[in-house]
Amino acid sequence: MTSNVAAASEALKALVAAPISVMEVCGTHTVSIFRSGIRSLLPPQLRLVSGPGCPVCVTDQGEIDCALSLLETGAVVAAYGDMFRVPGKSGSLASKRSAGFDARLVTSASDVLAIAEKEPRKEVVFLAVGFETTAPATAALVLEASARNIANLSVLSFHKRTPPALKALSADPSLALSGFLLPGHVSVILGHEPFRFLSDLHGIPAVIAGFDPEQIMLGLVTIALQKRKGEAALRSVYGQAVRPEGNTKARELMESVFISRDASWRGLGVLLDSGLALRDGFSRFDAEKRFELSCAPGEAPAGCRCGEVLTGRIAPTECPLFRTACTPVSPVGPCMVSGEGTCGAYFRYHRANGGKR
Amino acid sequence: MNSVTLGHGSGGRQSHELVEALLEGFRKRNIGPELEDAALLRGGYAMTVDGFTVSPRKFPGGDIGHLCVCGCANDLAVRGASPDFLGIGLIIEEGFPAGELAEYMESAAATCESLGMTLAAGDTKVVPSGAVDGVYFSGSAFGKVHTAHPLGMSNIQEGDALIVSTSIGRHGAAIAAARFNLSVDGLESDCAPLWPVVKNILPFEGLRCMRDCTRGGLGTVLCEWAESANLHISLDESSIPVEDTVRSLCDVLGFDPLYMACEGCVALAVSSASAREVLGTLRKSPLCGDAAIIGSVFRGEPRGMVSMKTSIGGERLVDMPFGELLPRIC
Repeated sequence: MTSNVAAASEALKALVAAPISVMEVCGTHTVSIFRSGIRSLLPPQLRLVSGPGCPVCVTDQGEIDCALSLLETGAVVAAYGDMFRVPGKSGSLASKRSAGFDARLVTSASDVLAIAEKEPRKEVVFLAVGFETTAPATAALVLEASARNIANLSVLSFHKRTPPALKALSADPSLALSGFLLPGHVSVILGHEPFRFLSDLHGIPAVIAGFDPEQIMLGLVTIALQKRKGEAALRSVYGQAVRPEGNTKARELMESVFISRDASWRGLGVLLDSGLALRDGFSRFDAEKRFELSCAPGEAPAGCRCGEVLTGRIAPTECPLFRTACTPVSPVGPCMVSGEGTCGAYFRYHRANGGKR
Repeated sequence: MNSVTLGHGSGGRQSHELVEALLEGFRKRNIGPELEDAALLRGGYAMTVDGFTVSPRKFPGGDIGHLCVCGCANDLAVRGASPDFLGIGLIIEEGFPAGELAEYMESAAATCESLGMTLAAGDTKVVPSGAVDGVYFSGSAFGKVHTAHPLGMSNIQEGDALIVSTSIGRHGAAIAAARFNLSVDGLESDCAPLWPVVKNILPFEGLRCMRDCTRGGLGTVLCEWAESANLHISLDESSIPVEDTVRSLCDVLGFDPLYMACEGCVALAVSSASAREVLGTLRKSPLCGDAAIIGSVFRGEPRGMVSMKTSIGGERLVDMPFGELLPRIC
């Protein structure tokens, strides 16, 4: 065991006397926690709850159905890998692609520009999901398409903003969260201020941490220390990457292209100003307007409890579909599909739930 | 399974589902194969078949011709058979440059020569433009078995040590880097024939079985072993050799090196008494300087599964991958 992790593990055992629940907000944290086996190093009183930080998972069912409906118009729908297998009402992007529809896997927003330029006769739509980390790249894509006057490219923007979701969770007394492990990457963009309300308004310790095991353990120790002292403050243990003011350039880029709008989150419902829509000046790149779509919130698949998993209300193992009707090979909900989804991580890595397939 | 998806080509659990569905007619007639890298035939021979659709066709460390010979020869080698004869079938798209095709055949020939392998049979088909992407190779290899007892996963026993012959994931990482236009200095496919390495360890009595860690990587091989032996495999993450280049590429793309394809890496199950000697013999080969003992086989729980002590001292499960990691890796 690396000495820092071992020391942190010992410190947590000494610090955490009464049961506490800490939410790791980001899906990248969730995966790192499972992959490194951190849960097996924590005292039993410290419960880690996975939050709504997996972009695929929080994408509303209606938004997925909207993207699938675009394929039927003959458009090319380009999306990041994880979106491919999320089931909608009529299959997934992957199953539609197998059936001959034109869904393309991209690894960056700029790939979409290349597709649109290479195939000018096709309508190319980018299914843009993710938080403040991926939104600047989508903004750059829109600006570039605008500068180059690319007529066949549009964006289905389902980008979401992190702070409104945390606002909803921290205000919910039934969750009784004792601390937030805040996402390092989002904080690189947003800086400290947008998260300060967690400690200052709701009295919940909140710590920005990076993604390697040492950072996560250090973040947990910082939360436990505050709990022990009865304090609540916003801290960062990810000093080398996160500047207090964030990345002003990336935010300006986002703000020049996007405007906030109400958005529907799986598990959280419609949250005020929690989504990002294209500004009026970029209407011609807005797929919702271009194809006259109305992506109303949709109903989750029957029996799927992803919404409760995403908000930390239940552990995946408490969902009756987990490991029975819902597996990574035939997922019912997005939390089982995504590489960052909590259910998928439980299925793949969690020893306590292993033993039977 | 309603239709075949790219996930069925990933080498993981869905590939098994596909293969079992395809074998149904053979299984019910009792004329189906066992699921190893190569089949052991009556008379002390082994044979295998493999297809190659890799994209790009040229990659750092090899090309599709070299890969075809290595892939086929390695399937034989891990069952203790020498790569004696090869057959190559080509499906070529109309308009394909003849010069490029000649290059791949030249590199296949050079690899065969280095192994003492003869091209015994072949076939060509040309299809209209668009019916395939460039050229696909399929290969079949045949060779003599050099072990007294058949090597195979049914030999795996409680207490056995697990060895990996070199650092993992280099082929998959090199292909992924090329596909995603990422340049990683020093990252090369491990694509290489294994027979020169493997033949030296065949005399060890404690050698139980070997597998070529291709599609699905080391993780998939070990999951198959644990499942088929109904034993528990425990790995030590810090002892599994992974090059920094592979690790950083996996970090960027969100892949796990355990599941990245290798084309010159063999996993071995060996009795604990022979483990040190086998390791020492492997390490004498220039291809296997990083060979390491990475775990062992237990009777305990969870049975049929693989767990791993992580590098920070935690504990987690290792499961078979699912879905489409990256199609056309080999």
